[in-house]
Amino acid sequence: MAYLIIAVVSVLLVALVAWPVLRAAPEGSPPGQGDDMRAVEDELQRSLDAIREIEMDHRAGNLSDEDFAELDRDERARAVELMNRRDSMSAGGAA
Amino acid sequence: MTLVGRAALLLAFAAALYAVGAALWSRRAGQGRFLRSAERSVWAVFAATTTSVVVMWTLLLANRFDVADVAGYSNLTLGWRYKITALWGSQAGSLLLWMWFLSIAAVLVVVTNRRRNRELMPVVVAVLMGVAVFFTSVLSFITSPFATVSPVPADGRGLNPLLQNAYMESHPPLLYVGYVGLSIPFAFAIAALVTRRLDSTWITSVRRWTILSWMFLTVGIILGSRWAYEELGWGGYWAWDPVENAALMPWLVATAFLHSVMVQERRGMLRIWNMVLVVLTFTLALFGTFLTRSGILSSVHAFGESTLGPYFLALILVVLAGSFALLISRMSLLRSENSLESYISREAIFLYNNLLLVGLAFAVFWGTMFPVLSEAVQGQKITVGQGFFDQVAAPIGLALLLFTGVGPLIPWRTASRRQLRRRFMWPLVVAAIAVVPAVFYAQDGAHWWAAAAIILGAFTVACIVGEFWRGMAVRHQLGGVSWPGAFGQLFVRNRRRYGGYIVHLGVVSIIVAIACQGAFSSQGDLALRTGQTGEVAGYQFTNEGGTRSRDDHKMSVGVSLAVSEGGDQFTTMVPGVDVFTAQMQRSSEVAVDSSPFRDVYVVLVGLTPDGLARISVFINPMMMWIWIGGIVMVIGALIAVWPGRRPRGPAAVIPAGADGRVRE
Repeated sequence: MAYLIIAVVSVLLVALVAWPVLRAAPEGSPPGQGDDMRAVEDELQRSLDAIREIEMDHRAGNLSDEDFAELDRDERARAVELMNRRDSMSAGGAA
Repeated sequence: MTLVGRAALLLAFAAALYAVGAALWSRRAGQGRFLRSAERSVWAVFAATTTSVVVMWTLLLANRFDVADVAGYSNLTLGWRYKITALWGSQAGSLLLWMWFLSIAAVLVVVTNRRRNRELMPVVVAVLMGVAVFFTSVLSFITSPFATVSPVPADGRGLNPLLQNAYMESHPPLLYVGYVGLSIPFAFAIAALVTRRLDSTWITSVRRWTILSWMFLTVGIILGSRWAYEELGWGGYWAWDPVENAALMPWLVATAFLHSVMVQERRGMLRIWNMVLVVLTFTLALFGTFLTRSGILSSVHAFGESTLGPYFLALILVVLAGSFALLISRMSLLRSENSLESYISREAIFLYNNLLLVGLAFAVFWGTMFPVLSEAVQGQKITVGQGFFDQVAAPIGLALLLFTGVGPLIPWRTASRRQLRRRFMWPLVVAAIAVVPAVFYAQDGAHWWAAAAIILGAFTVACIVGEFWRGMAVRHQLGGVSWPGAFGQLFVRNRRRYGGYIVHLGVVSIIVAIACQGAFSSQGDLALRTGQTGEVAGYQFTNEGGTRSRDDHKMSVGVSLAVSEGGDQFTTMVPGVDVFTAQMQRSSEVAVDSSPFRDVYVVLVGLTPDGLARISVFINPMMMWIWIGGIVMVIGALIAVWPGRRPRGPAAVIPAGADGRVRE
């Protein structure tokens, strides 16, 4: 009886695992395309977080006005660059 | 029943092996369906391993002494709770638990990455299932938890009495969750290297996993210390035992990674270093299992010894060689985007902190392995004593404490002197005030490092409180919210930062408590007949008589002690000794009276039939703060990983600079 149960379960598991291969469904978009977009979005989110943190540090007095101006300018420029990159990727995807 | 367990393990092995092959095959163009098949195979591994675990627990609860691990680690009188924990009392059972946690982690990775990291996932699945192949093959072909014995004994040998403790119910599984969790950052790092996707995507994907794994390791280590404190009866909680060190080393390197990863996210620096840390952390997690299971070093965990060492050593060598070969081949892609602009910047402080943490991990590794190395070189096993570890850990711990306070107050990239003066004025004032009691207590100079820990602890707490205060003030002014509301908003808007500060408070509590316990504890032995009183460190102990009891499971003796200070009795303590009948093994049942300032810790050494009690008394100052510190660290870590919506604040409106548009 135990052998029968093991055999049935094994066959079921093999069928479950093999199904995506046997079904041969059409391939979607190549892997990595969505990942590129997500990477830029993650990077942008980190940049926005950094801007907030710099601003918070400045308001809290952890950053002098000069240091704040420099750090804030650089980080905002980076955020803009990332936005542009995201937009061009979106446009490329839509085209 | 055992057949089902064995078959399930074999099935898990086959499914893991298939998953590795299918996942790697799916990287070929047009073969994406094999990745979906590999991911289903991960589910199959999980289902099969879960079946094995359920079967093993059923065998333990049903007292199936025909199974070697049940006969060896359980018996008829063992309570059901310890029958459950007996699973990880045996070598094969503990590896089964490792494997089960790995299969759960792998399934969670598959589920959470169904629509993301699709380019990384084939390699991630292959790495995780590669590790699963190792464990399932060991469990199927080398040390099976379902091995049987003949003739079948009428009763089992029972669980080691040292393991019959509430802390041992959770300490090993929590450590294993931590170890297993660290395999996920490793898998993503290898995937990033293989696919050459070396941007910060993999870092983002593993951040929560790393913090959670680190948190479980923290809890596991703290509970292990608590177990040693209450169960081993020597008055201490940490003895630099090889197996304790085995858990500490990956924790130290993971802590370094958690800090340096922020430098990569923010500044695009330390990219090679982060890869090295991830590989080292996972290798050290495997090394921890190797140390526990190899029996190459004598340890309080000698019950875990086995002959599996060579297999683990081979796995460690394969992981190290493969990872570093891959890393070297991708070195040109891992160049930093920026360089260090100032030695007084947050990234520089993180770098110093990293060097200290990794340096300490190396020192612990060196001290732990020295007996093996000395035997290999000189033919003589030389054991490194606690003194070596204390001498190395004390100054590094103090330096880390200093950076814990300094780091958050120094901005990224650079800091002006005026700014530093303003930020550090109040913490320095607080530290100066702390000098008075610290120097008073450490007046003989022998306890300089305890005094330094108190001063630096006060400095660091002042730095952290100052950070909270300034953050709350900004929120209060900006949002017009109440002060408590402003406090809450800090966590809502930047969980990671303020959760990290809470963790730092826990670290301060632990380091200061360790220093105080090490410097100011006292110990004395007393021999008291019934009615007699003795004194240790200002505390009086009166023997009120012995107690003896016996049940099916154990014989117990104890002595009732009235404990007074300055003539006022404040508690009655009953230290005892249990002798477990199955193994005829002794286990101390220490009595501890805790308060925020000190623990009174009493061990019964012996009780003669005529009522003479020999006791050892330890007065351990500040002990409670080690455990409180651990709880605080866990709370901080949970805050840091708690999911939530990203806030929309002033930065949501970006003056676009060059093109003048307003985004977001």
